[in-house]
Amino acid sequence: MSSMSAQGVVERASAELSKRINVLGLRRDKHSAKGSVMERVTNVFCGGGNNAAVAAPEKPSRLLPAMRGTSKIQGGPHQNHMLVVNKRQHRVQPVYLTWDQLMVDEKFLAKFFTYFSPCERCVLAQVCTRWRDILYRSPRNWTGLFPVLQCRELRSSQMNERARLYSSLLRRGFHCICLMGASDEDAIDLVNSFPLASKHIHNLSLRCSSITDRGLETLLDHLQALYELELAGCNEITEAGLWACLNPRIVSLTLSDCINVADEAVAAVAQLLPGLYEFSLQAYHVTDAALGYFSPKQGSSLNVLRLHSCWEITNHGIVNIVHSLPNLTILSLSGCSKITDDGVELIAENLQKLRSLDLSWCPRITDAALEYIACDLNQLEELTLDRCVHITDIGIGYISTMLTLSALYLRWCSQIRDFGLQHLCGMRNLHILSLAGCPLLTSSGLSSLIQLRHMRELELTNCPGASKELFEYLREHLPRCLVIE
Amino acid sequence: MPQIKLQSSDGETFAVDVEIAKCSVTIKTMLEDLGMDEEEEEVVPLPNVNSAILKKVIQWATYHKDDPPPPEDDENKEKRTDDISSWDADFLKVDQGTLFELILAANYLDIKGLLDVTCKTVANMIKGKAPEEIRKTFNIKNDFTASEEEQVRKENEWCEEK
Repeated sequence: MSSMSAQGVVERASAELSKRINVLGLRRDKHSAKGSVMERVTNVFCGGGNNAAVAAPEKPSRLLPAMRGTSKIQGGPHQNHMLVVNKRQHRVQPVYLTWDQLMVDEKFLAKFFTYFSPCERCVLAQVCTRWRDILYRSPRNWTGLFPVLQCRELRSSQMNERARLYSSLLRRGFHCICLMGASDEDAIDLVNSFPLASKHIHNLSLRCSSITDRGLETLLDHLQALYELELAGCNEITEAGLWACLNPRIVSLTLSDCINVADEAVAAVAQLLPGLYEFSLQAYHVTDAALGYFSPKQGSSLNVLRLHSCWEITNHGIVNIVHSLPNLTILSLSGCSKITDDGVELIAENLQKLRSLDLSWCPRITDAALEYIACDLNQLEELTLDRCVHITDIGIGYISTMLTLSALYLRWCSQIRDFGLQHLCGMRNLHILSLAGCPLLTSSGLSSLIQLRHMRELELTNCPGASKELFEYLREHLPRCLVIE
Repeated sequence: MPQIKLQSSDGETFAVDVEIAKCSVTIKTMLEDLGMDEEEEEVVPLPNVNSAILKKVIQWATYHKDDPPPPEDDENKEKRTDDISSWDADFLKVDQGTLFELILAANYLDIKGLLDVTCKTVANMIKGKAPEEIRKTFNIKNDFTASEEEQVRKENEWCEEK
C-alpha cells in the first residue's frame, strides 16, 4: 500500500465507489450527476486519507441473515437488500430484513421481548428454539419468577429429563427452586440428578410436601449455598428435625402451615440462626414465651418479623418482641387477634425504626392505637389496617398527620366515612391507598381523592359508592394513577 | 425548507423535508456520509419499501417531527405497552400485513419511535395467546421435537411470580 501513489489510491477508491454507487442505484437515471456525487464521495475519502475505509466495511455481522443479505448484493445489484454507504468510519450498515429474518434476528428479538413481563416471556419461550435460546440466555428476562416443580409429575419422567430440566434452570439464571408435593424420594433424587444445586441454589421452598426430617436434612446438606428457606404445609417436619438441620447460613426463614411448628421450633431458630434477617411465621400454637427466645445477636440482625395468624400471641408477646428485637423495620401481626391498643402502644414507643407495620385482622384495635402510631412512628412508610373494624374517622385523622406514610391500606374498615377521607386528602406523600370494601364512603366523598396528586395506585373494589362515573372522573384527574375497580 | 426525494420500490417519489427524513437514522447517515448538498434535489432510492408503506412512514414522521429524541434503550427494563398515544393508535389501525411491513420499514430505516410503537402494538396483539397462535400470527415454524416441546412447556408453565 505504501508504494501506491496518491493517484493510484484515488483511482482504486473511485473504482470501488462506482461499483457501490451502482449497487445503490443512486441517480442511476441521471448520468451527468453521478460524476459529481462520485467526486464528492471520493474527496471525502481521500481527504481523510484513510485507505482502509475504501474497502467495504468489515462490520461485525449482526446475525446470519445479514450475511445472506451481503451475498445477495454481490450477486445481483438490482435485487440488493441493503443500503450500502461507504463511510469514513466503520459504521453499522443498515440491513433490510424480511419478516422471516426479523423473526430470528437476535438484536430485534431481544428488544421486542422487553415489551413483555417475565410471565409473558414464559409463553414466548415455547414458540421456537430460536426464541427460547435468546430468552434463556439472559437471566434478566426471568427476574421476579421462580420455578415451582410439580414433584408428582416430575417423578414420572426419566432421570435424564429431570437432569435437563434442572440444567435449564441454571441456564436461565434461576437460583431459587420450589418443590411442590415433594417426598423424601424426590429430595434424594434432586440431590442425585442436580449436583450443581449445591453451589447455585440460594433459595429453597418446600410446599405441601410429605417430606420428613430425614429428607429435609439430606436436602440442606446438599445445598451448601442456601440462605433462604421456606417450609409451607410440610406436616411431617418435626421440631426435632429443625433442631437437626437448620444451619447458620440461613438468613431468611419462612415457616407456615406446618402442623408441628410451635414454641420449640422458634427456640431452634433463635439458637441456630444467629444471622437471621427475616423471619416469617404462621403457626396457631406459638405462644408469647417463644418470642422471648431471640438472642442479642439476632436483636441486631433481625429486621423483618412477620407473625401471621399466631392466634395465641397477646400483648405479653409484644413485650418480648420489643425487648429482644429493637431493630425491626418491618413488622406484621396480621391476624394476631388478641393484640390490643396496649400492645400497639408498646410497639410505637419501642420500635421507632419501623418502616412498615401490618395490623390487619387485629379487630381489637381502636383509634387509640392509631394515635400512638401517629405520635411515635416517625419513619413509618406503610401501614396496613385491613379489617380493623373499630377504626373511625378520628383514627384516620391521627394517621393523616404522618408525613412519611406513602402506602395505606384500609380494606373493609367499615366505619370510615367521607369525613375521614377529607383528612386523607392532605397527605401529600401518599402513593398507594386502598379503601376496598368500605361501605359508608359516598361518590362525592371519593371524588375528593383527586387532591392526592402523587397517587400511583388507588384500590376501590367493592365500594358501593364507587360508580362508573366516579372511576371515569378519577382516571381523568389522576392520569398517572392505577385505579383498581 | 430543503427537501429530498424518497423513491419507493415501485418507483414512486415523495418529496420530504430533509429534517423529517432525518428521523430515519439510515437516511441521515447516508446524507451525512455522502455530504449531499441540500440545494440539490437528491433522490434516495428505498428499494425495500413500497409506496403505500413509505407514505405511512412519512405521515408518521411528519406528525412526530417535533418530538423530543427518544430516550436511550434500557434492555433490562420491562417496557410498558399500554401507553400508545391515541394518534398512534389510530394511525396503526391497519391490517396485520401493513403493521408488519411498517415494522420492517422502521427497522430498516432505523426510526426508533416508529419501531417502538409498532412493536408495542404487535406485543399487545400476542399477549395472552398460546405459543401455537403466536406461531400462526408470525408465520414461525415449530422446530421443537415432541420431547423438547414437552420439556420447554414444563420449564415455563412451572414458573410462578414470587
